[in-house]
Amino acid sequence: MTARFGSLHRLPLVLLIGTAAVFLSTILCVSPGGPALAASLPGTLKIGVLAPLSGPYAAGGTSFVQAATLAVEQANAEGGVSGRRVEIAVGDSQGRVDVAKAEALRLVSREKVSALVGAYLSEETIGVMEVAAAHRTVLIVPVAATAEITDKVRRDHARYRYVFRVGYSLPQWAEMISAFLSDRKVRRYGFVGAGIRWNHELAGTLERMAAAHGITPAYSAFYSAGNPAFDPIAVAAAAASPDIVILGDPGRNSVSFLKRLREVAPALPVLSVGGALGDARLAASIPLSAPVYVQAAAWRGVSPDATAYVERYEQRYGAPPVGYSDTLPYDAVTVLVAAWRTAGSVDSAVVVPVLEFDAFPGVAGTYRFDAAHQARWGAGPGTLHGTFVRWERDGARIVFPPR
Amino acid sequence: MLPSFRGGWPAAGIGLLLLFPLSSPDAFFLDVFTTGFLLAAFAASWDVVGGIAGQVTLGHALPFGAAAYACALLTSLAGWPLPLAVAAAILLAAAVGAGVGTLSAPLSGPFVALLTLALGEIAHEAAAGNTFFSGPGGYAWGGEGGIPVALPWQDAPPFASYYVALCFLCLASFAMLRFSRSGAGLILRAVAGSPITAQASGVPIARFKRLAFTVGSAFAGATGAGFAIHVGRATATDLSLELSFQAATFAAVGGRGTIVGPVVAALVLHVLFQGLSLPPAARVLLYALTLMVTLRFFPGGVVGTVREAAWRVRWKNGTGSFRRRGRGRPGEGGS
Amino acid sequence: MSPLSQVLLDGIFAGGTYALMAAGMALILGVVKVINLSHGAFFTLGAYVAYALAERGIAHPGAAALLSAAIAFAFGVFLGKSFVNPIRSHPFALPVGTLACALLFEQAAQMVWGPHPLSIETGAPWVGPGGLLIRRWGAIAFLSSAALLAGLKGLLATRPGLPLRLIAEDEEIAGSLGMDVEAIRYLTFGGACAMAAAAGALLSPSGAVTPTMGRAPLILSLVVVIVAGMDSIGAIFLLSIGLGILGNACAYLLSPQWSYVALLAAVSLLLAARPAGIVVLAGRSD
Repeated sequence: MTARFGSLHRLPLVLLIGTAAVFLSTILCVSPGGPALAASLPGTLKIGVLAPLSGPYAAGGTSFVQAATLAVEQANAEGGVSGRRVEIAVGDSQGRVDVAKAEALRLVSREKVSALVGAYLSEETIGVMEVAAAHRTVLIVPVAATAEITDKVRRDHARYRYVFRVGYSLPQWAEMISAFLSDRKVRRYGFVGAGIRWNHELAGTLERMAAAHGITPAYSAFYSAGNPAFDPIAVAAAAASPDIVILGDPGRNSVSFLKRLREVAPALPVLSVGGALGDARLAASIPLSAPVYVQAAAWRGVSPDATAYVERYEQRYGAPPVGYSDTLPYDAVTVLVAAWRTAGSVDSAVVVPVLEFDAFPGVAGTYRFDAAHQARWGAGPGTLHGTFVRWERDGARIVFPPR
Repeated sequence: MLPSFRGGWPAAGIGLLLLFPLSSPDAFFLDVFTTGFLLAAFAASWDVVGGIAGQVTLGHALPFGAAAYACALLTSLAGWPLPLAVAAAILLAAAVGAGVGTLSAPLSGPFVALLTLALGEIAHEAAAGNTFFSGPGGYAWGGEGGIPVALPWQDAPPFASYYVALCFLCLASFAMLRFSRSGAGLILRAVAGSPITAQASGVPIARFKRLAFTVGSAFAGATGAGFAIHVGRATATDLSLELSFQAATFAAVGGRGTIVGPVVAALVLHVLFQGLSLPPAARVLLYALTLMVTLRFFPGGVVGTVREAAWRVRWKNGTGSFRRRGRGRPGEGGS
Repeated sequence: MSPLSQVLLDGIFAGGTYALMAAGMALILGVVKVINLSHGAFFTLGAYVAYALAERGIAHPGAAALLSAAIAFAFGVFLGKSFVNPIRSHPFALPVGTLACALLFEQAAQMVWGPHPLSIETGAPWVGPGGLLIRRWGAIAFLSSAALLAGLKGLLATRPGLPLRLIAEDEEIAGSLGMDVEAIRYLTFGGACAMAAAAGALLSPSGAVTPTMGRAPLILSLVVVIVAGMDSIGAIFLLSIGLGILGNACAYLLSPQWSYVALLAAVSLLLAARPAGIVVLAGRSD
């Protein structure tokens, strides 16, 4: 025993030497790291992709990176950017703003990426925006929907002009949903979502937009992640007897809630705003006693591009995309590469004006950005419309917009 | 050889850390270290409550996040100058700590953990699920996206943040070490060791428990305000149970009740696992394995177990005969 | 059906799910005297086993529960023997160590089954008296938690359960009577892990199966176990059901968003009123 403790006695020394060694090795690693890396891959262009790959948001983040990988492969198959190959460098944002910022710094300062695509959650994206602005790096935002992003671009264009959002903003989202509800002859709807900011905002915006179509909310409720009270919400939503329940949660809880709702109200139609319920494997476990609609940026059959994308995705990853957390990142990379090709450069000073004034074909349609660098989605002419599908036993059928 | 080098090793470590930014590392490394310094100070502040005073709290993110939110709201919404907002945030955190300490003083053992967990989770739910204020953009502030901190500068140079955070960590750890070795610290250790004995010797334990919560929370608040400034906003994650668990984890790995142990554990673990940019799956697996292996072989934490062993050796040699064995927290004098 | 009575019935079922998780945690807390934060991971393991079986056409909940219990028992014995027992004298290292173990499992599950949510068919609910819907998983959770806790109580009251009770009360006496205290500890740990996995398998159809699905139920069962203590199995059951009803009533009558806060506030008030817990815990060192 004494001998063992005797060796332990020297441990602080060993530990300190070990710590010092770690510091020294990091110092040694870093100094030659930057230039050596850039020199080892001549002519390659890098896109930094930020998404949560571990923890509770890993599902969305993983398909995000998978789709971005596919888009880069497609770009290379089409000859890259003026003969140069495109690569992605991935950072795990872990669903936290501090980590997202640090990883964005790593991609910019060490990986020497020419542009960033990401991040996934709104708070992560707002943090990454600051890094992009400070380093004058183009940032394409695929899914984060908060108004703060485009508001910053509008209010401080000089600083944030590098930030563009291809995904829909909350008002655009609400506009597309209102058009769909109106098409389905809905008069009263119920809204259920996660108890977080953007779901509250979506519910509020939708209420205003739907009122223009004479559609009113009959019930709305938000559940907390700590103890999501699915059953009481399902019972109350069914008791309010709306024409449809809108499920404003792209995450896994939407699946749990839908199952509980179907138990008490098997004949109540449901519209999911996209995400997890776009997964065919999940939809197969849900009773289709009443329609289950899912909103998506694009779906197989919307256009030849969309069909080709879905088939490539399915072939590569074994399951079709859900049409939201994969399709939008795919288009983000596609838009970025197209802008690089048009600009003939990856220099932000040249690329930003191209992104501001040009149009870019993607899987979901043709992207154009407004003054706040928000892609034009909505129900009106000249906008991207998105897609609404209905699950059937043999797959999903496109129901809106009418073709 | 250990006693003759006492105090020298931390100085050498600080020297290395001061030298580090001059060796031209990139902004990412400096950012990782800056966050690491703040997490280390947070872990040390947990140790004041959970280690020195033995009140295992699982709601230590509460004062941290309260100060972060106070700092953000006071600068962005009320337009206070930053130093004033930080001071107010620290005061608020201390008050929150005093409140939690008052509530949990009659409790013992796991009930303290349970009550602090509940209070922390309530605060997290309130922050994540609500948008209280409308900022200047017409959209709501708060919720999971949090509230921005209005800073008098834009894009702080990474090495400036690094040095400020390092300086803060050194000062805060020094202050917490002094506190733990002061009369109050010794009484708190007695309260942690055996509340009944302490009470029998006339110590007002409720008051001392509250003191530990107040002091630990004030330091947690200072760290929280610093974190909000570093990140540029206060978000609901600053109040999360994960953050509280993280502090407890660093303390367990480093050695509970040693202050230095949690600081070193937080720094080494954070810098290793965030700084080496491992693939995500490998990072999580290695992190979890490192924790399990370390705790398996150093169940009292690295510093704690080593000290315990050192004391046992001395006790056996007859030089430290008054030390008790059992609890793996020999307290004073080992560093 | 009246919505309120449906909500209250669902609350009883929700309480059953808490009790199902809490039973195993209480057993570990009582006999091994450790707060096990990897309990949620074993719950998740059970759910994934049920999914894997359902995917292969074996959708019987009993089969899934048995298989997952066997797998979890093996892992639990390993964990108990090689990790928990050796560092038991450091009560603070164990919650952190078992939390790390849960992280390890979550990541492993993500690598094996993917991060995407998976789902098993729920099955239509039964219609009870007065049009009240009896959700299948709810009835299973309630009945199996009642059976499990009653069984545990029975075991502890009879001769075969004597070693467990003795170790829970005084391990030194148990050791001096020639009992293999260490072996009983790791077997208990394994058994409790098996209970968690079986619970996961039984409850898996009620929601989505994801790597981090064990986190939310873990916190609430932890609350139940600490407040009720291991010594009173009846208190665990009643507290679980009470919290389930309270959470649902709050969600229905006040606001669903605050049901979690209401539960935690209720527990905090309970602690403030009875600082020593509902039942005073015995033999706790930290």
